[in-house]
Amino acid sequence: LVMKDGKMLLLEPSQAMKELGLEEHTIRFTSTIFVDEAGPIKKTTNKVYHLLKEKYGERNVQQSCDGSLTLSDSVLIKVSGSEEGEGKSVLVSWSLQDEDLGSSLLPLLEKGLPPDLRG
Amino acid sequence: EDTKDPNKLKNPTHLWGNLDVQEFVKKLKERGVTDIKVEDSPGGHIVLLQNDDTLIQIENGSTHVICQGNEQLRKHIRDILLTCLQKF
Repeated sequence: LVMKDGKMLLLEPSQAMKELGLEEHTIRFTSTIFVDEAGPIKKTTNKVYHLLKEKYGERNVQQSCDGSLTLSDSVLIKVSGSEEGEGKSVLVSWSLQDEDLGSSLLPLLEKGLPPDLRG
Repeated sequence: EDTKDPNKLKNPTHLWGNLDVQEFVKKLKERGVTDIKVEDSPGGHIVLLQNDDTLIQIENGSTHVICQGNEQLRKHIRDILLTCLQKF
């Protein structure tokens, strides 16, 4: 709620900050965890995709053509590592506004991915 | 299932202003974080927590915490950032 020219205005927080001449400060977190997964990156990505679908619902998980996943249009997940070797890194990135959702992913991934999925 | 986290944010916070790097580093030290290195970057500063494999990129209007799964440390950093910035 902002007072401007003697009038009360109800504005979005970012718009309110602009009206008041304040510069917004965004905080982002990127945390990378190691998962004990052998084989291609795509296979691990699929496992993460299915895990997220199960936990958060199919509509909330998107797969991008670059191989990354997005949860609820806000949390980014990307698997990297060697295509052949054991072990992959899973990067999870989110903003402070999505803190609860973003930070809920780490213990989920640390618990381990489900065994091989058919298809 | 969600675990009860006493540090869980109750409400989304809207932050503004720039981060005072010296104040931020002082508060990190008070929390027991050691081996802190501050470097200048084209957009501001980079704070390196070398023992913890963590990097914090600080620029005008944004801060990016990059860490390696250490949730306890990340939440310490988050809480310190929230005390160093203006909010409503």
